[in-house]
This record gives sequence, C-alpha cells and structure tokens, in this order.
Amino acid sequence: MELLWILVKILIVFGVVMLHVAYATYFERKVIGHMQVRMGPMRVGPHGLLQPIADGIKLFFKEDVIPTPADKQVFYAAPLICLISAVSSLAVIPFFEGFAIANINIGLLYIFALSSLASYGVVLSGWSSNSKYAFLGGLRSSAQVISYEIAMGLSLVGVMMMAGSLNLTDIVHAQMSSSFKIYLIPQFLGFFVFVVAMLAETNRTPFDLPEAETELVAGYFTEYSGMRFALFFLAEYIGMIIMSCIGVICFLGGWSGPFHVPGLPFFWFVIKVYLFIFFYYWVRATLPRYRYDQLMALGWKVLIPLALFNIVLTGTIKSISG
Amino acid sequence: MNGFETIFLYVGMSFLAISAMLIISALLGPLRPEPKKLETYECGVPLLDPAHKRFSLRYYVVAVLFLIFDIETILLYPVAIRYQVFARQGWAIFFEVFIFVAILLVGLFYAIIKRGIERE
Repeated sequence: MELLWILVKILIVFGVVMLHVAYATYFERKVIGHMQVRMGPMRVGPHGLLQPIADGIKLFFKEDVIPTPADKQVFYAAPLICLISAVSSLAVIPFFEGFAIANINIGLLYIFALSSLASYGVVLSGWSSNSKYAFLGGLRSSAQVISYEIAMGLSLVGVMMMAGSLNLTDIVHAQMSSSFKIYLIPQFLGFFVFVVAMLAETNRTPFDLPEAETELVAGYFTEYSGMRFALFFLAEYIGMIIMSCIGVICFLGGWSGPFHVPGLPFFWFVIKVYLFIFFYYWVRATLPRYRYDQLMALGWKVLIPLALFNIVLTGTIKSISG
Repeated sequence: MNGFETIFLYVGMSFLAISAMLIISALLGPLRPEPKKLETYECGVPLLDPAHKRFSLRYYVVAVLFLIFDIETILLYPVAIRYQVFARQGWAIFFEVFIFVAILLVGLFYAIIKRGIERE
C-alpha cells in the first residue's frame, strides 16, 4: 500500500513536471515574443497553446544522426547522465505540506551533489562528439559550472544557519515561524548571490557561453539531433525548474502564502516558481551575454567574497540575538 | 521504505521512462545514413583535423581551486546547521566560523593576486 502510494507520487511528479517543462518553453516564447513586440507562437491551437505538444511529437519522428568520428558509447550515455541527474533532484522537493517523494534529511546536499553530476554529462558530450565546437562548449561549461557551484553552495549557508537543517521541509517550517516569514529579507545578500549563481548554473543568458550560438553553434550539443537533443533540452528546463524550486524553498517561504487557497495546497508554490521562471526569461530578453573572463571574475572576485561576508553577517546577527 | 530507497526507485523509473522515449523515437524516426551526413560539423568546410588532440587546459588551476573551495564549503555545512545551538552558549562559535571564513578569504585573495583564475 505504501509502495503503491510512492509509485503514484512518482508518476504524478514526473508527469506534472514534464508537462510544465513543455509549457515552460511555450511561456518562454510568448514572454520573449511580447517583450520584442511580437506575438510569439500563434498557429497551433488557440494562441498557439498546442505548440509544445506539436514540438514534442515532431521530435519523436526525427532521425537520430550519430556522426562517424564520435565516441559512440559515451555519445549515447552523455544526454542520459544530464537528464537523469536533473530529474532525480525532483525527488526531494516538497511541493506542499507533506508532499515530497522522499523526505530525506540531507535534501539540499543531495541537490548540490546531483547538480555537480550533471556537468559530467556536459563534459562527456563535448568530448565524445569529436567536434571542435562541442569540445570548446563542454570545456567552457565545466569551468563555468564549477566556479558558480561554490558561490551557490556558500550563498545557502546563511539559510542553513537560520533554519538549522538541510531538510527542505524543515527549512520551510523554520521560515514560517521566523519573524519575517520569508528568508528573503534577512538573507538578501545570500539571495542576490543565489540568483546570479542560479542563472550561471543552468547556463542561461547572460551566462550562456557554453552554447553561445554566434561563436560555438550550439556548444556541447552541436552534434546531437532528434530525441537525444531533446534530452539535453529537457535537462536544461528541468534544471531551471529545480533551481527555481530551491530559490522558492530557501528564500520565499515554499508553499506558504498570505492566505490559504482551499483545495490547492500547491498554489503558492507554483506561483512563486513561475515568478522565478519569468525572471529567467526577463533577464534573457534584457541582458547581453557576458565576456568569458568577466564571467570568471564575477564568480570568483564578487560572488564568493559576498557569500562569505553573508555567512559572517548572519553569524553575527544570530550570535547577538542568541 | 526509507527516503533513499524511494530515491533509487524514482531514479530507476525515470531511467525507464527516458529509455522508452529514446526507443519510441528510434522506432518512429527514419534512419538513412549517408557519409556526408555523418561527418562532423565544421561550418560546411571539409574537416581539418579531429578534435581529439592535445589542448592547453588553461582552467586546470580553476579546477584545483574548485576542489579546495568545494571541500571547504562542505566543511561549513555541519557548522551552519548546528550554529544556533552553539550560539546560545556564547561567542566561541562565532569566532571559530569567523577564523575559518577569514582563512578562506586569504586563500581566495592569494589566488586572485597570483592570477590563478585568469586565462593567461
């Protein structure tokens, strides 16, 4: 019985997230379209609402081209590593009170571990494609992700000091009982570092150098086509959703909201996640791409010292208030 | 079932689902290989040389720095979680964290001054 409930939960989470990923692409095209005074997709269904489904079906009918010089086994495995490590992070996210597939006590650490694992998929795909664009994209991506991984890890130490736990459900409960209700106000420095590192971790604009289309074609997935390309695409969007979820849980109070919506316990969580996702698209439509050395300098010279300062600041406040 | 067993189950199921997606696509999609189609892409010009050759990995130092700083981040986590408990017993924990962070900062500044993170 317990096993059945767990299976049902797994199916719900997997299905709902896949659906949200499909519509996140639609949302992105609409938002960016309207920001550039265009309409975005309009043809398939009313206001283009069936566009993501049409795109998905199209990808199933595409040829899977594998270049002759590629290292076959690694080439096959790389997108799987990327997507499975992204999908697995969803297992610990509490979408509302008491609803997480696995409520483990090291939730945040688990998510960090898996987000590091995803960079293996990127590096291996870059190497195994045996193409110069893919190779450079993979190299750049690995250097970028490991630089911002530290900033992200340190930015959440302040949250851990305030909540006293790595369990994501406990972090939300600690926030509900804190004086500001959300950690955004006492942890604004940590939040700032987190948001910048979040953009860089998911390789989004203005930090999308690994797939800078004007110089590296498509970066590490230049040689991929058909369904394998779609796996990388899914991994990127699921990564965005996970980063938004961590942001919501650690800084914006998780599923808690100003008033209770009857029958929809996940209402506030979804609204806040979409706020983050809208922010991703807004930044993409607004900011130009960073230069590579500026990107590394921002990570090491600004974000890491700021995050360390935030730890000391939080420690001081906690020690004074006892 | 404890949390980690559930996670293994979840990872296994998602692996199956993703494999199913790949298999369905392989069954539905065409497969018409051609020598020209299977070449490595290099903006349309004939391939000069393979990409698997020696390269200067300028970010080797960055990778080493990452290892050091990531381990130090992990060392900060247990302290951060128990911080409130220790903070009630006085300021000793604050100074310990302060000294730890200060050592981290000194190391970071040394790396920056020595141009460890620049591509030169």
